[in-house]
Amino acid sequence: METADAVVIGGGVIGTSIAYRLSEYRKVFLIEQGEIGAQTSGSCDKAIFLQSKKPGFPIKLAKASREIYENLEGELDTSVEFKKNGGMIVIESEAYMDSMKKFVKEREKAGIDVKLLDHKEVRAWQPGLSSDIAGASWCAEDAEVNPLLLTQAFAQAARRRGADIRTHTEVTDILCERGKVVGVQTTHGRIATETVINAAGPFAFRIAEMAGVGLTIMPRRGAVLITEKLDPLIHGNILCSQYIAAKHAAGDTGNVPPYGIGLSLGQTDSGNLLIGGSREFKGFDKSVGPDVLSGIAKHAVRIAPVLKDVNIIRSMAGFRPFTGDGLPVVDKAKEVEGFIIAAGHEGDGIALAPITGQLVASLVENKDDYNDLLKPLRLDRPQAV
Amino acid sequence: MDTDTVICWCEEVMLSQILSAINAGAVSSKAIKLETRTGMGICQGRICRPLVEQVISSYTSRQLHESPQLNSNHPVRPLSLNELAGNRKDV
Repeated sequence: METADAVVIGGGVIGTSIAYRLSEYRKVFLIEQGEIGAQTSGSCDKAIFLQSKKPGFPIKLAKASREIYENLEGELDTSVEFKKNGGMIVIESEAYMDSMKKFVKEREKAGIDVKLLDHKEVRAWQPGLSSDIAGASWCAEDAEVNPLLLTQAFAQAARRRGADIRTHTEVTDILCERGKVVGVQTTHGRIATETVINAAGPFAFRIAEMAGVGLTIMPRRGAVLITEKLDPLIHGNILCSQYIAAKHAAGDTGNVPPYGIGLSLGQTDSGNLLIGGSREFKGFDKSVGPDVLSGIAKHAVRIAPVLKDVNIIRSMAGFRPFTGDGLPVVDKAKEVEGFIIAAGHEGDGIALAPITGQLVASLVENKDDYNDLLKPLRLDRPQAV
Repeated sequence: MDTDTVICWCEEVMLSQILSAINAGAVSSKAIKLETRTGMGICQGRICRPLVEQVISSYTSRQLHESPQLNSNHPVRPLSLNELAGNRKDV
């Protein structure tokens, strides 16, 4: 039987980031049921937003991750198209100006550089946006990255450190003896290990169940439209205030727009625009109907009329792992020694992947260097559903 | 083959790049797409997909159609954002 110091389950941006960190000092196996970065991490937008996070702990966590991004390309020895182009959240109506002022003030207090732009300043920076836009909050620290390249880069760097990455391999059981992890059973054999990291994103609850650990993570479906290649059309990433409302709404209740639609707009290095997005609870049903896509299109054209004649070549849908309070779970399971959970990042997986790798490494090594960031991410926190 | 061959016209991906992906462990058109951008262009694989699948079956032990096929998502053909937006008034 093969033996590993640690087995990471899930080859998305979270699992590969963890495998990269852990393989520095350990023999690591990464088990992925399909392809690297082909599910949630391959069907998301490309923004690394700071200002969209809630003030307090979520911003603190996002900042810690954003700092790692500063040197990540050097560390991974490849380009992941990391760009510090800033980001804005636009508001469509003067009526929301007061709440936007509050939004900006709260973020200034949290130590991020955010300022309020008026109608003219927004249009000067983003001429493609509607003349009806009332204003926007602007954060120079918001950045962007190519999530496909990022996941591949983490995987490659982990491989260079000796990690064994097995794709098309499914985990069928977590083997435990006397309350301890002793191995992982896969469709291609058994691996002996005392440490398992569950980084299976929206599928993490199934893996947890195999270890007898209760974990409530629900798939929240998000759709994104992809356009033909265009010359640079927008600067940095753009969200709208409706996106923030949909993001922070705790589920399907409250003030959620139809299909959870809110604008998320970014342009890749190759010139394609990514136009998001929706948030819906539809189980694992991947077939997004034309009503949702049409809704995303309509919302995007209203905010950015410059897009009206741009061709959409494809749409993609991904399942964001939803925990209920907008934060992932990064913790050791109490019931089973050696079973670690790192899942539930919902729409923040790209922003939080770098820090998640560090947090898990800290847990595995029994260090206390990240206690302040790990405590609010515990599995038994009261907010988690 | 002495000279290289273009497989994906939209993203200008050469046969040699696809073969390096296969050598690095890729066994499906999805993996090759994610690593090389093959099929991510305006034609969305309508032209290159059969070629990619043939390359996979020639250079790996996988039979044609054994590897996971790429999905085709909406829209089936490119259409403008305005057309897609239609006349919805509720969002």
